[in-house]
Amino acid sequence: MRSIRNAAIVGTGLALMLIGDAPPESPLPFQIVSEAHAILGVWRRTARRTVIVGSAVVATDAAAASASAAAAQKQAAAAAAPPPPAAGGAALPMGTVVSALPGGCTSTPVGGVEYYYCGGNFYRAMFQGNSLVYVTAQPK
Amino acid sequence: MTALGFRMAPAWLALGALSLSSIISMDVRAQAPAVDPAATPILKRMTDYMGSLKEFSVHTQNTIEDLLAPGERIDLEVSATVTITRPNKLLTERKGDLVSQNFYYNGKTLTLYDPTLKVYATEPAPGTLAGVLDYARETLGLVIPASDMVYPNAYELLMKDVSAAKVIGKTTIGGVRCDHLLFRRPGVDFQVCIADGKQPLPVKLVVTDTGTPELLSVTTMIRDFKTALDVPDARFNFVPPKGAKPIAFMHR
Repeated sequence: MRSIRNAAIVGTGLALMLIGDAPPESPLPFQIVSEAHAILGVWRRTARRTVIVGSAVVATDAAAASASAAAAQKQAAAAAAPPPPAAGGAALPMGTVVSALPGGCTSTPVGGVEYYYCGGNFYRAMFQGNSLVYVTAQPK
Repeated sequence: MTALGFRMAPAWLALGALSLSSIISMDVRAQAPAVDPAATPILKRMTDYMGSLKEFSVHTQNTIEDLLAPGERIDLEVSATVTITRPNKLLTERKGDLVSQNFYYNGKTLTLYDPTLKVYATEPAPGTLAGVLDYARETLGLVIPASDMVYPNAYELLMKDVSAAKVIGKTTIGGVRCDHLLFRRPGVDFQVCIADGKQPLPVKLVVTDTGTPELLSVTTMIRDFKTALDVPDARFNFVPPKGAKPIAFMHR
C-alpha cells in the first residue's frame, strides 16, 4: 500500500503543508480517513491556489510557486515526476497533472471537450479521484 | 501512515515526536487487552441490521481534525446525505465549506457532479452496490461517503486486523441510548456508539489515525435515519443542469 504522500511547498516566504489524496485502497475503516484526506486534498489545493494568486506580484515568484505546485501535484498523483516547467512556460509532457491552471488561459471546445490553452500547453479538466485537476493533452 | 519525516517541523522535533510515539505504541502493546467478547456481538448486530435494510437514507455530519502547522489544530466540517436502495441504487450529496459533490449511481452508470465547479463525469458502472464501490475506489480513486456502511460483509471488513476491542459503557447521544465500543487495529482506532433497542443503528463514529502523534480523528455524527423511503428510481439518474460541463475520470 502506498502511504500518504506528503510534499512541502515553499512559496514567497510562506510555507504550506499538503498531503496528496490518501490512496483509498484499504478496506474499512480507512475509507473514512481517506474521505477526510480526499476532502483535505481539495482544501489544501484551494488554499495553495489562493497563495499563488496572492503572491503573484513578482512574476518569478508566481512561476516558482506554480512550478512547485505542479511538481507536488505530480508527486501526489504517484506518477513519474516530470521536470518542473521552466519559468516562461515550456511545453510539458502529455499527461502532466496540475492542480490549477496557470494564468491567462483561453478555453476552446474541441470535439465536445473543453481545452484550455496557456503557457504553450493545452489542458483538459478531469476528476482525479474526488479532485478536479488539469491534465496536459493534445486536442483531437 | 506517519508522515512526520516529511513535514516541515525542525528535524529535532520530528525525531522527538517519532521516538515519543514509538514509546507510546510499545507501552500500548505491552498492555494491549484482547478482544472483549462482549464488544463484537454488538458490532455484528449493527452490521447485520444495516445489511438487512432494503433501503435507507441517513445524514452524517463529519468533523475532520487537521493541523495548519505543528501544534495548531483546526476542525473542518463536511456533511453528507446518503440514500440507498438495494441492490443497486445510491445517491450521496456532500456539502461543506471545502467541498460540495454529488454522487449518482442508478445500477447502470455512475456520475460525480461538482455543483460549485459545474462539472460532472459519467461512466458505465458495475451492477451492484458493492461492485460500484469497489470500482469507484480501485479504478477511479473515488471516496464515496458512508461506503463503510454499505458493504454486505461490513462486519468482516471492520473486524479485519482488529487486535483489541472494548465495551466502554452505555451513553446517550442526542437522546439515543447507545453502547460505546472501541476497536483497535494497526494505525487506526475506531469508536462506535450503537443504539440499543430494536434498531441497532450507529449513532456516532470516531476514526483516529494513531500514526499521528496528535491522534487526529474524523468524527461522524449520524442522524435522520430513515428506513422506509419513497424515492422514485428516477431520483438516482443524473440529469446535467444547464451550463454543467462534462469531463472525464482519470483511471488508475
